[in-house]
Amino acid sequence: MAYSVPRKFPTTIVGSYPKMPQALEAIKKRKSGEISEEEFKEIVKPAIREVVEDYLWAGVDIISDGEQAREDMVVYFAERMRGYSIGDWVRVFDNEYFRKPIVIGRVEWISPMTLDHWLYTTSISQDRPVKGILTGPYTMMEWSFDLYYRDRRELIIDLAKVIRREVEELIKAGAQYIQVDEPALSTRPWREDAELLKEALDIIFKGLEAKRIIHICFGRLERIIPYILDYPVDQFDLEMKNSNFRLLPYLKEYGFNKELAFGVVDVHSFQVESIREIEEAIDTVMRADIVNPEKAYVKPDCGLKRLPRDIARAKLKNMVEAARRAREKY
Amino acid sequence: MRVWGSVLGGYARSRFVRRVLRDFERGLVAFGDLERSIVEASSVIIGAQVSAGLAYVVDGLLDWHDIFRSFVSSWRNVTPTGLLRYFDNNFFYRIPLFTGEPEATRLVWPPRVKLYSRLSEPSGFKVVIPGPFTFTSMSINASKASFGELASSIARLLESEVRAAVESGASMIQIDEPILSDPDIKKDDAIMAVELINSIIRDIKGVKTILSVYFDVPSSSVYEVLLNSRVDCLSLDIIDAPKRALDLILGRGFGGHCGVLGLINARTIYDDDISRLEDIFGSIIKGYSGEEIGLTTSTWLDLIPYDYSLRKTKLLGLLVERIARSFNLEHVWRVS
Ligand SMILES: [Zn+2]
Repeated sequence: MAYSVPRKFPTTIVGSYPKMPQALEAIKKRKSGEISEEEFKEIVKPAIREVVEDYLWAGVDIISDGEQAREDMVVYFAERMRGYSIGDWVRVFDNEYFRKPIVIGRVEWISPMTLDHWLYTTSISQDRPVKGILTGPYTMMEWSFDLYYRDRRELIIDLAKVIRREVEELIKAGAQYIQVDEPALSTRPWREDAELLKEALDIIFKGLEAKRIIHICFGRLERIIPYILDYPVDQFDLEMKNSNFRLLPYLKEYGFNKELAFGVVDVHSFQVESIREIEEAIDTVMRADIVNPEKAYVKPDCGLKRLPRDIARAKLKNMVEAARRAREKY
Repeated sequence: MRVWGSVLGGYARSRFVRRVLRDFERGLVAFGDLERSIVEASSVIIGAQVSAGLAYVVDGLLDWHDIFRSFVSSWRNVTPTGLLRYFDNNFFYRIPLFTGEPEATRLVWPPRVKLYSRLSEPSGFKVVIPGPFTFTSMSINASKASFGELASSIARLLESEVRAAVESGASMIQIDEPILSDPDIKKDDAIMAVELINSIIRDIKGVKTILSVYFDVPSSSVYEVLLNSRVDCLSLDIIDAPKRALDLILGRGFGGHCGVLGLINARTIYDDDISRLEDIFGSIIKGYSGEEIGLTTSTWLDLIPYDYSLRKTKLLGLLVERIARSFNLEHVWRVS
C-alpha cells in the first residue's frame, strides 16, 4: 500500500546527510581511479541504506538518498556532464581546498547523474516519496570558473537545459518531488541575478508533472524576495531557524502564495532542538499567517551533512514529533 | 599624470605551500622549516610582481588563513571560532570571538616588512590590514565593551601595527573595509569606519595610505562619507559591477583622493579583456583631476588557483603599461 504523506505539516529534509564511512571510502577510491563509476554507484548503496534507515527511524515523510555519493554539490555534477574540466585547487577555509570545476566547452547532459541512487532509495523507502535533488544552474555557474561562455546568461541557460534533461529522467522513473538547490543565490542578492535564475527555472520546470521545489538558504534573501516569488515553482524551501524567522514579515508583505517548507532546526548547531522548541518554531510560522497547515512543510534549515550522525538523527526525530503535535493543534 | 599598479592583497598557495602547511599541522615539519618555506614561496610571488612592473608589492600573505587570523592569533582575549561564508565567495573565514579587550602579544607586520621590503626593490612594499569596522562587524563580541568600544580597541592595536610597519620600511598602508560595500551599511556605520581609519593613520607620514572597499560598490551615501577620509587613496572594485561603479565615480569623483581602480578581475580565471578595461579607464579619466592614479585587482588573488594568481599579476602589469601608453601617462614602476 502506498505511503500516505500527512495532509498537514508533512516532514521532509533538504537533502544531504552526514557521510557514512562506506561513502567516504567509495569517493576516495573513485577519485584515485581504483574503481569505475559503475562500481562506485554500487558501493555507495550500503551508505544510502543507512541514511534511509535513520529517516525511517525518525519518521520523516519525504526523504532523499542523503547525497552520499556527492563529495561536493557542484563538483559531483560537473564531473558527470560534458563541458567541465576538473579544476585546480582553490581554498575553502584554513588549509583546506577543493578543485573548483572549470567550464571549458558547451555543457551537455551525457547520461543520468542521479537516477540510479534515486531508484535505489525509492526501492528501500517503504513507499515514502523520495525527492529528486539537483544543484541549480545559478549555483553551478557561480561556484565554478568559466573559460568558455564568458557570458553568464548563455552559461546558465545551457546549465538549465542539462538539469532539465536530468529532471525528465527522474520524472519518467516516477519522481513526484523535484528540488533544485540554489544556495549561491542569497550570496548575491541582486535583482538581475534573481531574474537570470528565473529564466533558467522556466526551462527546468516548464510543464512538469511533479512538485517543483527550490531550496535557498542563508544570506540576504529578503532583498530579492520581490523578484523570486513568481518563480515557476510550487514550493519554496527556506532556511529560517538560523536567521530567527527574519524572513516571515517579508513573505507576508509580498503576498507569498506558494507552499512553504521552513527550517525548524539549525544545521550549524550541534545542540539538538527540543520538541517544545520545534513546536514553538512551527507556531511562529503559523502566527505569521502566510500559509495554512496544508501548505506548510517542516524540515531542517539546510542539508545535515556537517553534523555528527547521532545529532542529525536526534534532530529529525524531535522534528517529526513536533510536526505530529502540530497536526493535532492546527 | 602618473599611473602605477599594485595587487590588492594575498595570493593563492602553491602546491608546495599547501603541502608544507599541512605537514606542519601534522607535526612533520618544524616551525623554522615552515617559515623558511613561506619566505621562499613569498619571494617568488614578490618577484612576479616586481617583474610585472608593479610599483607596490605584497608578500602574498601565504601564511594567513583569512584576513583576520594573523591578528587574532597575535592578540589576547580573542580566538578564532566557527566558519562563516566570506562575503559572496565559496570561501569561509573563522569568526573571531572577543571575550575581553584585545591586547597584542606581538606585532604581525614589522618582521615581515623588514624581511620582504628588501626583496621588493625597486618596488615599494605594501602592508595590508583589515579595517577596524569590518573586523568588528565580522566578529562576535562577547566582551563587556560596546561595538564602538571594541572597534576602537582594535583600531588602537592596528595603529601600533601600522606605525611599526612604517618604521620598518613599508611604503604603502592599505586598510581593507570590504563590508562597506554591503547594501545594509548605513551612513552612521560609514562615519564610524572613517573615524577609526583616520585614527589609525593620524600620525603616519611619508607613506601612501589607501582605504580599500571591494566585493561590490558602496552605496552613494556611504561613498559620500568615505570621501571625507584622511587616506591618500580610495580603492574601489570596479569590475564586479562596472555599471554601478562608474555611476558612482562619474557622479562623485574621488573627492581629491587618488583613485585606485580594481580593474583586473581577481575572481575569474580568463584573461581580462584589456581593451575593454582601457575603455572603462577612459571614461573615468575624463573627469579625473588627480596627479596620480592606481590600478589594481578587484580583490585579493587568493580566490583562484595559484597559477592563475600569477597570470593575473602579469595581466595587471600589462594593463598598467597599456594604459600609460594609450593615455600618455607616466608609468611608475619603481619607488625605492
Ligand atoms: Zn541549503
